[in-house]
Amino acid sequence: MSAEPILSVRDLVVEFRTEHGVVRAVDRVSFDVFPNETVGLVGESGCGKTVTGLAILGLIPSPPGRIASGSIRLAGRELVGLPESELRQLRGRDMAMVFQEPMTALNPVFTVGNQMMDILRRYKGLSRSQARAAAIELLAKVGIPAPAQRIDEYPHQLSGGMRQRVVIAMALSCDPKLIVADEPTTALDVTTQAQVLEQIVRLQQEFRMAMVLVTHDLGVVAETCQRALVMYCGRVAEQADIGPLFAHPRHPYTAGLLRSLPRVGEAEKQDLAVIPGMVPDLLDLPAGCRFAERCPRRDARCDGELPDLDGDAASPARVACFHPL
Amino acid sequence: MEVLQYSLRRLVAGIPLLLGVTFISFLLMVYFGPDQTYQLLGKNPTAEQIAEIRAELGYDQPFLVRYADYLREVATLDFGNSNSTGELVTDLLARTIPVSLMLILPGFLLGNLLALLLALLAAHYRSRWPDKGIMAFSVVGMSISYLIVIIAFQVIFSSSSGLGWFPVRGWNVHSLAEYLEYVTVPTLATVFVALGYNTRFYRSVIVEELNRDHVRTARAFGVPPAKLLYRNVLKNCLIPIITRVVFTIPLIVISGALLVETYFGIPGVGKVTFDAITTGDQPVLKAVVGLTAVLFVLAQLVVDVLYRAVDPRVSLS
Repeated sequence: MSAEPILSVRDLVVEFRTEHGVVRAVDRVSFDVFPNETVGLVGESGCGKTVTGLAILGLIPSPPGRIASGSIRLAGRELVGLPESELRQLRGRDMAMVFQEPMTALNPVFTVGNQMMDILRRYKGLSRSQARAAAIELLAKVGIPAPAQRIDEYPHQLSGGMRQRVVIAMALSCDPKLIVADEPTTALDVTTQAQVLEQIVRLQQEFRMAMVLVTHDLGVVAETCQRALVMYCGRVAEQADIGPLFAHPRHPYTAGLLRSLPRVGEAEKQDLAVIPGMVPDLLDLPAGCRFAERCPRRDARCDGELPDLDGDAASPARVACFHPL
Repeated sequence: MEVLQYSLRRLVAGIPLLLGVTFISFLLMVYFGPDQTYQLLGKNPTAEQIAEIRAELGYDQPFLVRYADYLREVATLDFGNSNSTGELVTDLLARTIPVSLMLILPGFLLGNLLALLLALLAAHYRSRWPDKGIMAFSVVGMSISYLIVIIAFQVIFSSSSGLGWFPVRGWNVHSLAEYLEYVTVPTLATVFVALGYNTRFYRSVIVEELNRDHVRTARAFGVPPAKLLYRNVLKNCLIPIITRVVFTIPLIVISGALLVETYFGIPGVGKVTFDAITTGDQPVLKAVVGLTAVLFVLAQLVVDVLYRAVDPRVSLS
């Protein structure tokens, strides 16, 4: 791992003002992403993983949301507090995002090529014909057959997998330092999922990008990421390299998540394990550990005190638990 | 080719609509409209005189025969002579429709273009003060009666107690300067009211589009805010906008702007239509109703073809 992280998030707090009060969707999240590395943000819906992704690009809808505190550095440059006009210049060029819904992520009334060329012309100053050639090349790179024809088609003429590849091609078009992929394969059917995922891994290695992969799917994390952060209720519960994380989860929540995955070829057929209880309401959080209610290892301390991640930002593995496994 | 085939099919499909509209309107004209017999006769007419005038007006024929005549008239665009003035109906319309168009078009165009501009601004600054200001103005435009606006503008711009810059009424147009003189105040009134309705409508269409995923994608790729509006959003919004704009065209061509024409004393087709309704001048009414229906069928066709041009997902087959 090289010394300088591409992305460095420190104590990020994102809040949303709602009718019922201020919700802290992301609470003091810290992590680094190094060049040529994919870091997974894993957790259930509502755990703050998508909001973290959006915050990196400065796309938190404001109002009602805002980055309340913390720091996000992209290649050493502080993004929090940067004026929107400067932040905009970085989007699509230094950092790009791939979204969850390929069916609606593209503009239905413009051709695929039109939308791709717009970015290429804006950031790379290419002429129309140069941009077109570059777009065709990118489409070929993301595995779209007959790119010279596809480029003049409209999004509704492409399948979901194709559309997601187009968005990925758009994200790659300016060689960004960082790509944030928010559930890039969730909306696709299973076979397409595998293909697109494979493509993402291949491209990430080819372009030597740093990538943040937001997903609820531990299987996807295992296949694509080098490290992962397990998030719960806006906080990081555990962060570790993939190998140790899957082999020896330390946070009871991670362990619970892993136990609830089906395993192919398991000798004995058993019911899948379930984590009992519900995710607490973000408006009405317990004083202590947010997972305490559902935790088999809970004791009095867990109810009264909120555990922070152990170690420091440089530690290879961190866990926020008083009684780690 | 696709468009041509589709157009033909659409025009054929418009025939039932034409039949329905003309039939119902004619039914109303004949059985519920004013009867001109006694207006055209002197005092104490004899039975022969009455029969003669009714035959002249065509009142003696059975309803269905008269309706069939009407359809033939629509098909040939020959509606005969006005019962009231004796002028050829086609001449009457050829004289008054251009006046109405000249009167209404500036207000119609400005009312839509300015509304679109204001709506874009409001949508861009949604829930902030420019939005609130524009929407407040729009509600005012919607809430005040058109009549009051016309009268108020006449007082402000045309009367001696106001600015007195423009003539209050009339249409004595021989040059561009005279045209501007007569058209300004009606246009201001039309724009004021149209802005209210249009801005509100356009804003809601644009805001809805701004909330779509593809706009978020565009923002995530650094599209600047102004470009986001005119490139990534405007074209997507055109379908409801085209619908609204094109369907108002038949109304302004034929029915004109009755209120504006009446209050500004302008001899347009709206005034002619109004007079024909009150006096029961059937040849004129038949022409106006028939032409409006035809224009609506054409407008529908134009709208569909424009949809196809704007949105590639629309298929004409």
